[in-house]
Amino acid sequence: MTRTVLELEQLAVATPAGRTLVHDCTLAVRAGETLGLVGESGSGKTLSTRAVAGLLPSGFRSTGAIRIDGHDIASLPARDLRDLRARRLGMVFQTPRAHLNPLRSIGDFMTEALVAVAGEKPDAAHRRAVDLLAEVGIRDPERVMRQRPGELSGGLLQRVMIAATLSMDPPILLADEITTALDVTTQEEVMAVIADLRRHRDLAMLFITHDLALAGAVCDRVAVMKDGRTVETLAAATMREDAADPYTRRLLSAALPPERDDAAAPRREDPVLVVEGLRKTFQVRSPRGRRERFVAVDDVSFSLAAGGALGIVGESGSGKSTTARIICGLETADAGTVAVKGEPWTRPARGAPARRARAGVVQMVFQDPYQSLDPRQTVRACLAEAVAVHRRLAPRREIDRRVAELLAAVRLDADLADARPRALSGGQRQRVAIARALAAEPEILVLDEAVSALDVTTQVEILTLLDTIRRETGVALLMISHDLTTVRRLCDRVAVMHSGRILEQGTIAEVLDAPSADYTRALLDSIPRPGWTPRRRLPPRTSHQPAAAQAAARIVTTGGHP
Amino acid sequence: MSIAQLTRGRVPAPARRAAGRDPLVVAAAVVASAIAVIAVAGPLLAPYDPNQLYVGEVSAPVSLDHPFGTDDLGRDVLSRVLAGAGASVVGPVIVVLLSTLVGTAVAVLSAWFGGVVDGVSTRLVEVIFAIPGLVLAVLAVAMFGKGLVAPVVALSIAYMPIVSRLVRAGARTELGKPYIAALRIQGVGSPTICVRHLLPALLPSILAQATLGFGYAMLDLAAISFLGLGAQPPASDWGVMIAGGQPALLNGAPEQSMFPALLVVVTVLSVNILGARVTSWAEGADR
Amino acid sequence: MTTHVIRQLAGKLGGLLLTLLLASIVIFFAVALTPGDPVTALAGGVRPTPEMIEAIRAEHHLDDPVWMQYLRWVGGVLHGDLGDSYVYGTSVASLIAPRVGISALLVGYTVVLITIVGIGSGILAAVRRRRTEKAILLGTSLGVAMPTFVVAILLIWVFGRVLGWFPVYGAGDGFVDHLYHLTLPAVSLSVLYIAYMSRITRGAIVAQQDAEHVDTARVRGLPRAHVFRRHVLLNASPPILSVSGATIAGLIAVSAVAEQAFGISGIGSLLTEAAARKDLPVVQVLSLLLVAVFVVLNAVVDVAVAIIDPDTVKRRSNA
Repeated sequence: MTRTVLELEQLAVATPAGRTLVHDCTLAVRAGETLGLVGESGSGKTLSTRAVAGLLPSGFRSTGAIRIDGHDIASLPARDLRDLRARRLGMVFQTPRAHLNPLRSIGDFMTEALVAVAGEKPDAAHRRAVDLLAEVGIRDPERVMRQRPGELSGGLLQRVMIAATLSMDPPILLADEITTALDVTTQEEVMAVIADLRRHRDLAMLFITHDLALAGAVCDRVAVMKDGRTVETLAAATMREDAADPYTRRLLSAALPPERDDAAAPRREDPVLVVEGLRKTFQVRSPRGRRERFVAVDDVSFSLAAGGALGIVGESGSGKSTTARIICGLETADAGTVAVKGEPWTRPARGAPARRARAGVVQMVFQDPYQSLDPRQTVRACLAEAVAVHRRLAPRREIDRRVAELLAAVRLDADLADARPRALSGGQRQRVAIARALAAEPEILVLDEAVSALDVTTQVEILTLLDTIRRETGVALLMISHDLTTVRRLCDRVAVMHSGRILEQGTIAEVLDAPSADYTRALLDSIPRPGWTPRRRLPPRTSHQPAAAQAAARIVTTGGHP
Repeated sequence: MSIAQLTRGRVPAPARRAAGRDPLVVAAAVVASAIAVIAVAGPLLAPYDPNQLYVGEVSAPVSLDHPFGTDDLGRDVLSRVLAGAGASVVGPVIVVLLSTLVGTAVAVLSAWFGGVVDGVSTRLVEVIFAIPGLVLAVLAVAMFGKGLVAPVVALSIAYMPIVSRLVRAGARTELGKPYIAALRIQGVGSPTICVRHLLPALLPSILAQATLGFGYAMLDLAAISFLGLGAQPPASDWGVMIAGGQPALLNGAPEQSMFPALLVVVTVLSVNILGARVTSWAEGADR
Repeated sequence: MTTHVIRQLAGKLGGLLLTLLLASIVIFFAVALTPGDPVTALAGGVRPTPEMIEAIRAEHHLDDPVWMQYLRWVGGVLHGDLGDSYVYGTSVASLIAPRVGISALLVGYTVVLITIVGIGSGILAAVRRRRTEKAILLGTSLGVAMPTFVVAILLIWVFGRVLGWFPVYGAGDGFVDHLYHLTLPAVSLSVLYIAYMSRITRGAIVAQQDAEHVDTARVRGLPRAHVFRRHVLLNASPPILSVSGATIAGLIAVSAVAEQAFGISGIGSLLTEAAARKDLPVVQVLSLLLVAVFVVLNAVVDVAVAIIDPDTVKRRSNA
């Protein structure tokens, strides 16, 4: 039995107001071992980890024991504790861009702990930093050392983070959702780096993730956390057989590839939507500040059968969302045509009547359930507004009846009709968004990453709901997703997009079971599964996407004195 | 609930809710209401005719007959302060109303239409922003003569960019959210989206800015009257009274300046406290 | 500084020149379209005869189209010919020149006070919790409601009547005496802005203290002083700098109040007097001067911010 390097015993965390968010987190990480800590949002996994790292928000209190290398941290003076954490723990976070100082170079970031904590000379620290960057697979580390975080891609920044934590040679690595914000292929690269490090160093890791399949693929053991408690700890290799807790079983089944039942889906062959030669460019600024034209969508053609379900799969920046927005009239294409039921829809509708007419045919459900509903409207007001657009003269009673129908259609409790979005869970909000889209009785429903912000168990519920709605109403689904598993669950055809182009398209079986494009194969291979070995395959993308996704971190001061 | 939500801001949510019962906020609300009453009914409450000379001794100290003393012409300071409240409070209110209405309209149109409309209006707002409010007010006095009308109009114009910048930034953030896109896809008309969804979303921050703007407008207008460019004697605008009482300071009769000064400070202070409360409410509404 | 920073700054500079140009047009035309005939003012109080009117109109090119007059005015200003005062008949330049020094000294003195006390107390309030923070917050709440004229009369009463430590009238002679005389005016000017800067500083620092990248620095065991200097303060400095620039630029206009209260003849009191007497050429030039100072100071601050944070301009244009 090897030594335990990190131990949590009945750890509990409470807010300043006295609300307990973590009740009992108990786990032990042995030297050289990777322990997965898996749970859905709100399970308390991140808070527990932050308690270990000393990063609880101010006023939060923790009870129970945390032992690092056998030292109970409660018994150490603050100075020794800081030193212990600095030398024994490394932590990597979910959002590397937010966790790196945007104003200082990668070089500053890499060397400052070496100089300020380990007391190395600046030039020695510099050499060591270059070596570390090379170790995590960064080419041209000298150049990266001179760059600022804003000039690098998310995957590259995450490697910088990992390299920086290694600078102190910590025996324990805390990895908090380190690949959640990354594309699957980038996730595979980062996991490959982690796997390399574990081979060459004696590194214990606490790997926090919401993704049970990923945890199962990369960890030795997996601890499952629910509602602030660790419910059970299983050996990763045999967790399917060993799982005893019903919650673990539910998580496991949600992570399984779906059973498919193709026969029942209503299919007609006449296309309701035909897209041909679509092209869209945006003006962007490069990291160097130059104006450039970025080709978001490049010669995209596909068609969607009435009552069919087409998935468009791709990673961030592939142009899949832009394609959806053009179809819905939120963007204007530079070239190409969109035809819905034979009518030209290439230009966005002008004038209120035309927009209402189109609204009755195409509707959309968005990714972020927290921002896709007006926070000031109740569910009822939101749905009533959507209904009233198409029944302008309808009496109040008729609208109320239709709202009730819609709530029933998305299996939402009528009691929730007077709640505001704030009071609803992510899954409930997404049901409201679907109900709102159905209010127009559309023939096409565009789902833009409609389940990717949800927990896995909720994802399955929403996907099942969408499938039922499709069967009941005959609405055609156009599903935009980065996740092959959800597409496989819901769609009968799929198109794979990369860098604005469609690489291949066909039935699910044709594309996903016998892919012809290398990229599709890479996508399929990068999905974590039992026995998975992450590999470095694609040439790493060095610059970040020019999309305006980066958050403006400036402070807006209200009320300057004039 | 994510860590970001838990950690945002230093004051945890329950403490923020408790601020609703903060005695300071309650006191500020009471004072502000009292000032509002005085502004409306000041002349009726005044114990003496504010412009009647020699109702008591010249430059008399605080007494029962003259709770705020008398000025160098023997006028009752309390009566003058009460009578002047209207002019001192209404000016800033007009400035806030005008700048908020125009600034919001410009900002919402600019954010909604984007492109050329946005470019032109943003540049225009930048130009006005480059002229300090006090300078614009003085320029207006030079053009149209002394009095409160020209400075009030000038300050309304000068404050417009502050409102407009804030609202435009807020409107652009809001318009970028998917719920607005969802409304458009549903075929909801643009005016409806603007009035029923966009403006309510912006209202908290507009209100917060308006409260703060009131304080600044009050100080700027009082400064203009203090400089002798605004309200003219014998009007008892507080700025005029403070300036008029200045010579008496050195003669040991500070009451004539101090009481109107105190009222300016107390008014601005109470409105600022309410403004801070509205601001934290506005930030809460963003979540 | 990399090339894209320079490119961004060049774009910024173009914007500034455009702003100045537009502001000069606004100022000139506002005055040119003023109701009332400038001839009356130019005649200097006597009722002009038709011949006099003719002569005055010709001398001041009043019969030219307005835009010609504008070009002549701008051209003159650029060459140092600021025109003549209606009231004094002398050149505007000769009115401004002797007053610039004392006003600059007053504003400079005030800026030093605001920077040291305002930013200093803001940092202190952000670093120290509990009592110090409470005390500073209370002080600044009061301070932002204390305009120059209120502080001025308080100081005049306390020091002029009760204590008598500082002079309360005039600007004195010689540099040291100037400073002595300008102490109370500078304090009266600075109180509100000290409070304001203190709040801005504290807010910017507190926002950074909660930033995620500061968590990273903490978890790496960096010494607290290092984290504060290199991560919190550095990142909080752009907003502090921006607000400082706007504050200082606005200060010059407000200095009129302090000059009036303490009987100092500077730029501010000249502007007040000119406005009161409808001396439009003086008002025009001084307004333009104040706008120019405002614009240039903000430009300097933008450059400073761009050096600290090269991405700021890009972010602003994307936002």
